[in-house]
Amino acid sequence: MLRFIGALFLSLLSISSLAADDAWLNLQKSAYAARELNYQGVFVYQNGKQKSSVQITHMNNAGREMTRNVVLDNNTQASSSQANQPREVYSQGNDIVIMRQNNQKMVIEKRRGQNLFPAMLPTDLRAIKASYSATLGAKEYIAGREAQMIDLVSNDALRYSYKIWTDTEYGLLLKMTLVDSKNKTLEQIEFTQLSTLNSQDVNWFQPKIDVSKSYEMQDKTAVNHVDSDWIVAELPVGYVKVDHRALVVPGKATPVDQMIFSDGISSVSLFIEPLNKGMRPKTGRMGIGSTNVCAHVMDGYQITVVGEVPPATVMQIAKAVSFKKQTAANK
Amino acid sequence: MKDQLSALIDGELEIDSADHLIASAKAGGELKQCWAHYHLIGDAMRGEMNTHHSLSSRVMGALENEPIVFAPNRLQERTDMVSAPETRLTATRSGKFWSIAASVAAVMFVGVMVLQLNQTEELMPVEIAQSVPTEYLQAHQAAAPNGAAYYIQTASFTESK
Repeated sequence: MLRFIGALFLSLLSISSLAADDAWLNLQKSAYAARELNYQGVFVYQNGKQKSSVQITHMNNAGREMTRNVVLDNNTQASSSQANQPREVYSQGNDIVIMRQNNQKMVIEKRRGQNLFPAMLPTDLRAIKASYSATLGAKEYIAGREAQMIDLVSNDALRYSYKIWTDTEYGLLLKMTLVDSKNKTLEQIEFTQLSTLNSQDVNWFQPKIDVSKSYEMQDKTAVNHVDSDWIVAELPVGYVKVDHRALVVPGKATPVDQMIFSDGISSVSLFIEPLNKGMRPKTGRMGIGSTNVCAHVMDGYQITVVGEVPPATVMQIAKAVSFKKQTAANK
Repeated sequence: MKDQLSALIDGELEIDSADHLIASAKAGGELKQCWAHYHLIGDAMRGEMNTHHSLSSRVMGALENEPIVFAPNRLQERTDMVSAPETRLTATRSGKFWSIAASVAAVMFVGVMVLQLNQTEELMPVEIAQSVPTEYLQAHQAAAPNGAAYYIQTASFTESK
């Protein structure tokens, strides 16, 4: 009898670990599918009260990834009665070109970046495996496609958890939500329409030119990677500093120190700037959808921490900031 | 006419057969503007970006002085309009995870509250609920996914209420 129970226990154990393997396998497949498949669809992004629809076209043309994103409901700061031209984002490999309307001008902005939705999962899942557990959930239909839900649960309270739905046939990520410890959805992105793209035609990868508007290239913003005397004594478990830069903010006389911390998945930015004359100090904490912000003042400096992480994480980082030595600015 | 101009820039149309286009572009007006726009956008998409003033003046300068650059890509393949050679075979692999907000940060600004600036009456600390640092949200979303992501969204870009 004991032997029977033992065997039963063992087989249950192997079933559950197999299910976890399957969940990771699904995520792995999803990471590749987003980059390798050709597809077109509409997705809706929702964060707090903000909601926006975007049309996406993605093609992998012999190893070159090309994506076009067009915002479908662009109700921006149109000052005139005419609606603004929709924001278009073209990306190719790591290059992102943004076309957006600013009053009567079309501004072309260029960025360096990596992949956009739905290519959010890394193909190397090791970092995620260190802080999250994955299990298979139920199957359901999303945008007319059969989807497998995967629960990606944080191992502690310093980061949020995710629910991820992947296409059972193609593996493509169809939906993703960020949930807090009470399982409340904070942020959601989801395809509402999706189809595969069968043609190799790349004519879609070309902005429409409106000759009634003038076009201009936005000046490049210089980013200096710096090292200053600011230190964060005790980072939340699992987070490391990945970058430190001097951020030039229009309208501010001095650059702002920005440090970026990441656990491989979730990331937090810390901003430090001197409180100059006329600047109103900010203190307190707030959340907007998935984003938490914590501000406080220290020795004449404004400290602001921003991240898609639980309040405890931004607060811990804000409190751990200190200056290595006294400087003239502190007096 | 504009389609032909586009084709000329893309190198699909022989320069010899496009005298009329070049003449019209030189003459100014809509086609000249269109010509400049095509080049500006083409350069941005090809990853040969300079600052806007140098680009515009370079394009217009070329128009005035050196007709030979009118079809800069004519010997290249059609797809080179949209692909810089050095970006070939990139990015089917990635070691970074993108947060949901970061994955759409280029497409839209995520964040709904507007920074209140220039309140100078009294400098008592304010609760940030009334005064969210929009530019910080943007800088965070733009930088967060990847320490090597060199881009910052302009803070003068404010969206929604």
